Amino acid sequence: MHQTHRLPPMPLSGDTLFDIRELNFRYPNGRQALQDISLCIRPGDRIALVGQNGSGKSTLVRHLNGLLGVQRGRLSYKGLPLRDQHLRRARLEIGLLFQDPDDQLFCHSLYEDVAFGPLNQGVPTEQVAPLVREALGQVGLAQLLYKSSHHLSYGQKKRAALATLLAMNPEVLILDEPTANLDSAQENILIDLLRDYSGTLICITHDLLFAYELCRRAVVLDRGRIHHDFSMRELVSHRPSLREHGLDFSFRLHAPLATAATLPAAPGAAEIPAPPAPQPPPATALDSPALVELRDYHFAYPDGTRALNGINFRLKAGESVAVVGENGAGKTTLLSCLMGIRQGRGRHLFGGRALDRKRRRELWRRVGMVFQDPADQLFCASCADEVAFGPRQMGLDQNEVARRVTAALRRVRLDGYEERVPLHLSGGERKRLAIATVLSMEPEILILDEPTAGLDPQGEELLVEILRELPQTRILVTHDPYLVGQLTQRTLVMHQGRILQDYATAEFLADQNHKSLNALALTYKAACSREIRELQHQHEHSHPHRHLHEHPHRHGDLVHSHPHEHEHEHAHGYTHVHQAHSEEHCHPPQPRYHDHAHQDHEQEPHEHEHGEDTPPRTQVQ
Amino acid sequence: MTGTGPGDIIVATPGILPLVLLILAMAGALLVVGRRRAAAKRSGHSPEQNWSVPVVDGASQGQSLFHRWDARFKLVSLLGLAFFIVATRSLTAGLLALGLAAAALAAARIPWRRALRRLLAMTGFLAMFVVILPLTAVVQPGDTLLVFPEIARLPFNLRGLELALSICARALAVALLMEPLLATAPLSTTLEGLTRLGVPAKVGQMILLAHRYIFVFLEETRRMSTGMNVRGFRKRTHLETLRVMGNFLGMLFIRSLERTHRVFDAMQARGYEGEFPGHGQFQAAPADWLKGLFFIALGIALLVLDRLWLP
Repeated sequence: MHQTHRLPPMPLSGDTLFDIRELNFRYPNGRQALQDISLCIRPGDRIALVGQNGSGKSTLVRHLNGLLGVQRGRLSYKGLPLRDQHLRRARLEIGLLFQDPDDQLFCHSLYEDVAFGPLNQGVPTEQVAPLVREALGQVGLAQLLYKSSHHLSYGQKKRAALATLLAMNPEVLILDEPTANLDSAQENILIDLLRDYSGTLICITHDLLFAYELCRRAVVLDRGRIHHDFSMRELVSHRPSLREHGLDFSFRLHAPLATAATLPAAPGAAEIPAPPAPQPPPATALDSPALVELRDYHFAYPDGTRALNGINFRLKAGESVAVVGENGAGKTTLLSCLMGIRQGRGRHLFGGRALDRKRRRELWRRVGMVFQDPADQLFCASCADEVAFGPRQMGLDQNEVARRVTAALRRVRLDGYEERVPLHLSGGERKRLAIATVLSMEPEILILDEPTAGLDPQGEELLVEILRELPQTRILVTHDPYLVGQLTQRTLVMHQGRILQDYATAEFLADQNHKSLNALALTYKAACSREIRELQHQHEHSHPHRHLHEHPHRHGDLVHSHPHEHEHEHAHGYTHVHQAHSEEHCHPPQPRYHDHAHQDHEQEPHEHEHGEDTPPRTQVQ
Repeated sequence: MTGTGPGDIIVATPGILPLVLLILAMAGALLVVGRRRAAAKRSGHSPEQNWSVPVVDGASQGQSLFHRWDARFKLVSLLGLAFFIVATRSLTAGLLALGLAAAALAAARIPWRRALRRLLAMTGFLAMFVVILPLTAVVQPGDTLLVFPEIARLPFNLRGLELALSICARALAVALLMEPLLATAPLSTTLEGLTRLGVPAKVGQMILLAHRYIFVFLEETRRMSTGMNVRGFRKRTHLETLRVMGNFLGMLFIRSLERTHRVFDAMQARGYEGEFPGHGQFQAAPADWLKGLFFIALGIALLVLDRLWLP
């Protein structure tokens, strides 16, 4: 690290970095986003802030660097409320990574973007250049120093956005969905960078495997309230809590990536039901002629970038095909060509006939596409109008349009949403609505571009269930091997505009495990999955253990109440690991303060110490 | 044709006008086809390139007298020269100015292709002058009129044509001059120079942010438009199209507004308090003064020449 002359960090009084007490926040439209949030964050904490879409996570982190002011309650950073000069200083040592990197890269070149923070910290101009180089070097973008950010790929932008914060050497790093829309290679780079970060880390994410790898503490928000604050291990091992807050991602743990090691069955173990395997294509499909076909297909953008090079691709009716590959491999361009949005060089056949200009213009009636960002295809004032848009363009009569709207909304579990405004729906609902807008057109082929991006696990599970039920021929573009395994039977691996492999999904997933093919190797996720499956192996038994709890109790004549610790023997559902087929086991840290009935325990003598640090007593009698 | 001298009426042979129009149309078509083929032949090796983006300061990494010139002096002197060019009247002065701008472009070592593309963007607008002015200029004594039998009631005034060409020459000269002015330093440095000259900092920041986000908004517009087209929407001349376009623009506005808030949040989160931190090292050297004086003198000389000697 270069010696730089930036403002020194503010001194820390006590052991608390952020002290939040009964924080409340209501948006101008009346929505209560935070309710009575009390949270203490210490230096070096690594916290995963999790919860369903709309639970208040982003609102909370926007308070942490003063982007939202405190309406009611108290929030202090290093002992002082975040306002005026203290807020200005605090912002220089609290880094916030936004979900969309385009929001964060607002300068003219990467150099200026990365230099922006250090210059505001008071680093002299001549010392900024080495800092910028170092930060961009850390994220592997040193060669793009003077590039404008609109020339970067999405993954590069995401890393550049992180570099803008690393150059400020922040004491606190807050990340908002850092892995959203990243391919696995980029995700691996990101996790390597964050693993080495030594400050306080607060991470908003729906990707609990990512959070498990990076964080030690989990704070669960639900409808603006903190519902749980415990260790990451406890969160992932406690399925009822995960399920309660729509975070249960256990369905992913049976994904092929997580199957390298299996657990011995234990008596009473809460087993996760294995998901159904994707249905094979109908027998008739195997012999049927190709529904769509590309032969020696090439496409180059006007700036000369060759996005597709000699593509040969056949898709039969009823098939479900995944297209995978790193960012920039040509997947989206391939979809655009299949949709007729872009026209390249080579043969493009649909239903066995070559597409001429007129037939290409009519392709939208037979091929439907769901975009990665639902905002790109939602623009009407109500959900019913949105779903009816396509059928109306097809010239269908009103009754048929109404029938299709109802059927499509029911199919995506949005019955009763007809008059709702699409803009006001949650992320998961918007995604399902986007699918309904396409389903109402009853296309023969359904193209899905990253359908689960940005969804919480519950939304993800529901969407997978819906997609699995659809009868259409499907093309799925994704970075997520789990989805590939769940929804497709065949996989194309693309790289630099070419199809590298075209084989059965089972073979592809096997390839994943053993060869780390392409950019989809997430070895850390496989390891995390195994570990979490072991943690979720849970059963109940009793043996003496210590509790910290509060209830009225007696010391001679004195009856009072306060938290105190002593040993009991009674049954608990424990999450723990057994040594193979042995009774020996160890418990991971449990919440030591909990409330439960102890028969006659209040009447037993309590001879625990009352030292100076004993919490204030409540006189009962 | 009949008639030869100034003040004459020249009557064109029938068929000349359609022939000229045909030649112009063919030239235009050839140009379009040529550009498309050139684009197809060009090979891009970087997977990062996504779509064509006209970048204002695309040639900022270079070594020329313009690249080494202090942005403040460059701004004052080249804008001054542009002012003098615009103040000239004659076609000859306009052509001289065009030559000067071309020489400046060569000295700045900016690729001609880039400059020509920029000029091409103006041609439609300028072509309108070349067509309209000769047909609408008030006929004065001594004007030479060219009459095409096909449109005999609309004589083609050669003084109007000269005026149009003079305007075109000056416009092209100023446009060419913008290349050495804006393309030879990072846009942020140029705008910082502008601020140092007394222009409010907010103006520079707004230009900088507009230049950055215009591409993001264009991309969002393209994606939304594609989202409508794949569901069968085609623009037609009926009320439904108007209603859909209204929804589309409204949604685009909402997305842009939301993005604006997020960008401002991101700026604040990294310590923004109303001013972008400066990067440029502005130190006036004698060479900066000399170059500045040279271009101002060139402008004055051009104006004097135009007013005193040129017709």
